[in-house]
Amino acid sequence: MNCDWVKQNITLYIYDELPDDARHELEQHTERCAGCEAELKSAREFRGQMTAAFPAAEPTPNLLAASRMRLSEALESAEPSHRWSWVPDLAGWMHQVRLAPALAMVLLMIGFASGVMASYKLSGSRAATMAETAKNPPPLSQASIAGIKSIIPDPSSRKVEIQYDTVQPEKVEGTIDDPRIQQLLLFAARSNYNAGVRMDSVDLLAQRPEDRQVRDALIFALRYDTNPGVRLKALDGLGPYVQNDTSVRNAVLEALLNDSNPGMRSEAIMLLKSVKADAAVRQAFEQLSKQDKNKFIRSESQRVLATIPEID
Amino acid sequence: MPADSVAGAPQPLAVNWGGLAKPGFAVGESGTRIPPSRRGDMVSQSLSRADDSALIREAQRGNRVAFEELVRQYDRAVLRLALHLTGSEQDAQDIYQEAFLKAYRNVGNFRFECSFYTWMYRIVTNLCLDHLRKRTVRKEDSGVATDSEGNQYDVLDQTPDGRPGADPERDLMRRELGRRIGHALERLTPRERMVFELKHYHGLKLRTIGEVLKTTEETAKNTLFRATQKLRGSLADMR
Repeated sequence: MNCDWVKQNITLYIYDELPDDARHELEQHTERCAGCEAELKSAREFRGQMTAAFPAAEPTPNLLAASRMRLSEALESAEPSHRWSWVPDLAGWMHQVRLAPALAMVLLMIGFASGVMASYKLSGSRAATMAETAKNPPPLSQASIAGIKSIIPDPSSRKVEIQYDTVQPEKVEGTIDDPRIQQLLLFAARSNYNAGVRMDSVDLLAQRPEDRQVRDALIFALRYDTNPGVRLKALDGLGPYVQNDTSVRNAVLEALLNDSNPGMRSEAIMLLKSVKADAAVRQAFEQLSKQDKNKFIRSESQRVLATIPEID
Repeated sequence: MPADSVAGAPQPLAVNWGGLAKPGFAVGESGTRIPPSRRGDMVSQSLSRADDSALIREAQRGNRVAFEELVRQYDRAVLRLALHLTGSEQDAQDIYQEAFLKAYRNVGNFRFECSFYTWMYRIVTNLCLDHLRKRTVRKEDSGVATDSEGNQYDVLDQTPDGRPGADPERDLMRRELGRRIGHALERLTPRERMVFELKHYHGLKLRTIGEVLKTTEETAKNTLFRATQKLRGSLADMR
């Protein structure tokens, strides 16, 4: 440990980039060596000046708001070139479906209307691509879906009728094995403006949460849907997977902690009872039992905790 | 050398109790979330880390709400970086816009090989570097910025504590020093400026900076050395 080394590493030191042992040695050295101590002082002064005299100020709320608005507008007409995960995933899903029991027939009825959502305008290039893919059974291009109008399951015939708007007239018939049907259900669960339609689609999807994409959609609905009814349906669908799927467990745990709806939270407690031995779950219950504003939640958490064995 | 956790390794699904600090996870418009002040912070913050890969996958499937949720996590930091680097609200807004549009168009190509944090910073940093390279040396004092209406204002008027200077002489000295610093920073190469900016003003670790610039931590280290050397030299000369 000599002065050259110290001088070279002072920069790293003042920026907290030295490993602990080197940091320790440098500190020890500068206590004994006046020259290096002066160097350290000068380096610290430099750092202080750079911050005090040329600070990186927080953007003003106006600037932030204006930037966000401008971005929002631009996103409306931007086209994400997201990977068309429909195609590779379909193969995997079709394989899974062959092993599953026979499922309901789905009948698609399609009406056409002028595009309701501006974000699904067909650009010239998209139209050309769609014409090319018309030869193969076309997966429904997401750009052509304007909105799901209704999802009506018919209990007697186990059929499901879905009405949706597109900018092009089409007709498709198929079973629920049909990737396009799943595509529409997943779309409806995520993006539809009508809570009732979202709820129906989540309800149907909740019948087959074995599929990873479906489970992700249910988790998304659980986290982000604005309607508590939809969230509740998603929660119910995910219930059986709390024990084995940690991402589901985390989502449910989060619902327990963050959801604004008390019904959701008590349902979450019910589902998490089966995994109360999980350290994360236990910690959450401990926190809730002490700090939650809702009396029912507090007492329920305490009850669950009382039945947990202490050992890990 | 202690082994750091590998940035971008698939997040373990078990909840991590490291008390990970999240850069301003904002309440979404959806209203399903309780504001941070009311929820159990440590638990939720750790869970939120695991959320992100699901959120990213959603955004990749074209879910705009999910993408906007992601934007919320980064947009304040991005704007702050662009604002400090360019000194202009207009330029900062342009970089902000370009960065997030680029992210939106390319989120499908994100392959989880690095963290989303690194990926996002990489996009912004490259735009900032472009800006730095294009910029000719300004003749006016650096320390003067322009707002979105084209009015000039002195960046140093925004003192961190917001009070009008009780000591005008000290304020004047600080302003003067600020101008010198501005000049000194302009003497750095774009890369040196960028590394210093990210390290000093935004607290990124050299390791992350290396990843962001697609180079090694060692290279980032050396660039930082050169930058601080030059800056300290300039400031000393100006005295």
